[in-house]
Amino acid sequence: MPPLLSVENLSTHFVTKAATVKAVNQVSFQVNPGETVGIVGESGSGKSITMLSVMGLVPSPPGQIVSGQVYFEGQDLLKLPLEQLRQIRGNQMAMIFQDPLSSLNPVLRIGKQLVEAIRRHTNLSSADAKAHAIHLLQRVHIPNAAQRINAYPHQFSGGMRQRVMIAMGLACNPKLLIADEPTTALDVTIQAQIVELIKELRADLGMAVVWITHDLSLLAGLADRILVMYAGQIVEQAPLLDLYANPRHPYTLGLLQSIPRLDAAQQTRLRPIAGLPPNLANYPQGCPFAPRCQYAIDRCTTEDPTLEAISPEHQVACWVKPERP
Amino acid sequence: MTRYFFKRLLSGIFTIWITTIAVTLLIHLVPGDPVQIMYAQSQSTTPEQLEQIRRNLGLDRPIYEQYIMYMGRILQGDFGTTIRGNQPVLDLLLVRLPNTLLLTTASLVVTIVVGVTAGFFAAYKRDTWIDSTLMTAAILGISVPSFWLGLMLMYIFSMQLGWLPVSGTSLRNLILPAITLGLANAASVSRLTRSSMIDVLTQDYMRTARAKGLKEGTVLSRHALRNGLVNVVNMLGLQFTYMMGGAIVVENVFAWNGIGRLAIQSIFQRDYPTIQGFILIFATVVVVVSMVLDLLYVWIDPRITYK
Repeated sequence: MPPLLSVENLSTHFVTKAATVKAVNQVSFQVNPGETVGIVGESGSGKSITMLSVMGLVPSPPGQIVSGQVYFEGQDLLKLPLEQLRQIRGNQMAMIFQDPLSSLNPVLRIGKQLVEAIRRHTNLSSADAKAHAIHLLQRVHIPNAAQRINAYPHQFSGGMRQRVMIAMGLACNPKLLIADEPTTALDVTIQAQIVELIKELRADLGMAVVWITHDLSLLAGLADRILVMYAGQIVEQAPLLDLYANPRHPYTLGLLQSIPRLDAAQQTRLRPIAGLPPNLANYPQGCPFAPRCQYAIDRCTTEDPTLEAISPEHQVACWVKPERP
Repeated sequence: MTRYFFKRLLSGIFTIWITTIAVTLLIHLVPGDPVQIMYAQSQSTTPEQLEQIRRNLGLDRPIYEQYIMYMGRILQGDFGTTIRGNQPVLDLLLVRLPNTLLLTTASLVVTIVVGVTAGFFAAYKRDTWIDSTLMTAAILGISVPSFWLGLMLMYIFSMQLGWLPVSGTSLRNLILPAITLGLANAASVSRLTRSSMIDVLTQDYMRTARAKGLKEGTVLSRHALRNGLVNVVNMLGLQFTYMMGGAIVVENVFAWNGIGRLAIQSIFQRDYPTIQGFILIFATVVVVVSMVLDLLYVWIDPRITYK
C-alpha cells in the first residue's frame, strides 16, 4: 500500500536579518492510510513546524521551506499551485491546534466557522451545511448542538472549544488529521476525554492521525508508530512498543526516564536530561544532542549521524546506539 | 444590553446637563460686562437700552436664578434670540446643523475608506516599501494643519485645474472640505488600523482559517478585518469628536454654511446666545454619536458585555 503522506528531506528555515534559524533539517518520514503516528519532542524541536510545512502554513516571511518534497497521495504539495493546495487543506488534510481559544475567531459564531469550512469544499446549500455542522458537533459530543451552534467561542469551556476545533477538522472527512498538541492547554481529565474522542473518530472514519506532543506517555495506547525529534531532526523512529521497550537513542532514553512510573520503587528519583537544546540559529557541528549526551564519543562532536535501520521498522540516528541500561 | 443602553443614555444626559451649567457660567467667566461687550459694536445703544437688555437677558439676577431661567427656557426649546437680527437661535442652528452633519459624515467616510484601507495594506505588506510609503504619508497627514491642506486643495483643484468650486454649500462643494477634514483623521486611523491589523494577522485563528483551505480574500475580509476593526471603531467615537472640532476650521476655510461657521461669526460678534446654543447643540451631537458608536462596538465584538 503506498503511503498517504511521504515527507522527504524536508528542511524549513526561518530567515531574518539577524540569523537563520534551522527549525527543521532533512526530515523524512511516512504516514500510512489509517495509521496514527506520534511526533514527540521538546519545545523548539521542530515538530510543529514540520507539520505546518506539510500544510503549507509556515508563516512566510520569515519561514522558508528550503528543500524537500511532501507527497500526499502521490502529489508533491510543495510544487502545487497555492489554490490547489487550499483545496486539499481542510478537505483531505486537516489540522487542529494547541490553544482552542486563540485558534477560534472570537467575533464569529462557531456555526459560521464550521459552515465556512464545509461550504468551501462541498456544494452544500447553507441550510444543509448548517445541518451538517450540527451533526459534526453531535459527533464530538457537544450537548444541545442545535442551540450551541449559535454561540461564540468565549461561551464554551476549554474542552468544548477543542471539540469544536476537532469538529471543524472533520468537516470534510479528511484522510489525514494533524493534531498539534491538542490537549496541552487542557486539564488532565479533559485531556483524556479528547484523546478518547480522537480514538473513537479515528476508528469510525478510518483517517490517519499525526499527533504532535511533548508528552511521550500520552502516546501510549494511541499511536502506532513514534517519531522522536530533537533540534529539527528525527533522531529515532519505531513502532510504539518497540520504542518503549528498546529505545536506542540516548535522547529517547532520557525522555522515557523522565516519566514517572507507577511500578517504580518508592524514593526513585526521576532523571531529567541535563543541559539545554542547541541554539538553532547557530547549529552545532556533529550530533546536536552530543553536548547533553552521557554516551557521547569523539565522533559525535564532529559528524552528524543519519538515521540508520537497526530493524526493518526501527531507525536511530546515533553513532553509539546504547542499549537501555 | 437594554440596561447598558439606559445607563449610557443617563450618562449622556448628565454630560449635557453639565454643559448647560458651563454655558451659563460662560458669560460671567469672560472678563468685562457681558452686555457692554455684546453691544460694543453698536455705538448708538444708550445706557438705558443696555439696562433694558440686561433685564431682558436676566443678567441682573443672581447666577442660580439665571441658570433656572435658562434651563426653563431650554427645556421649552427656547434658546433665546440672536443679538443682531433678533432671530431665534435654535432655528438658526437647526437650519445649519444638517450641513455640518453632512460634512462630518462625508469626512468620516473619507477617513474610514482611506484610513482603514491604507492601514490594512500597510499591515498586510508589513516592512515593505508599500508599508513605509503609506506610513510616511500618514505622518505627513497628521502633521499638516487642516486649514493649510484645505487652502492647498482649493488652490490646486479649484484655482489651477478649475474642477471644483472654491466655496459654498452644495454637494459639489462638499468634496474638498470633506477630503480636507477626512484626510487629517485618516492619517491617525491608518496608523491605528495598521498596528491593530498586525496584531490580528499573527493570531492563531488566522492560521485556523487558512488551515480550512479558505481563499486568502475570505481569510482577510471575514477573519482579519472584523477583528482589526474592533479597536478602530472604538477610536472612531473620539475621531468624530475631533472632526466636529475640525469642522469649525474647515467650514470657515471653505465658507461651508454649517454651525461651525456660524459659531465663529457669533464669536466675532460677541453674540452670546448663539454661542451658548452652539456649544449645547455641539455637545449633544458628540454625546449622541459616541453613544451610537459604543453600541456598534458591542455589535462588532460579541465578547464585550456591559453590565
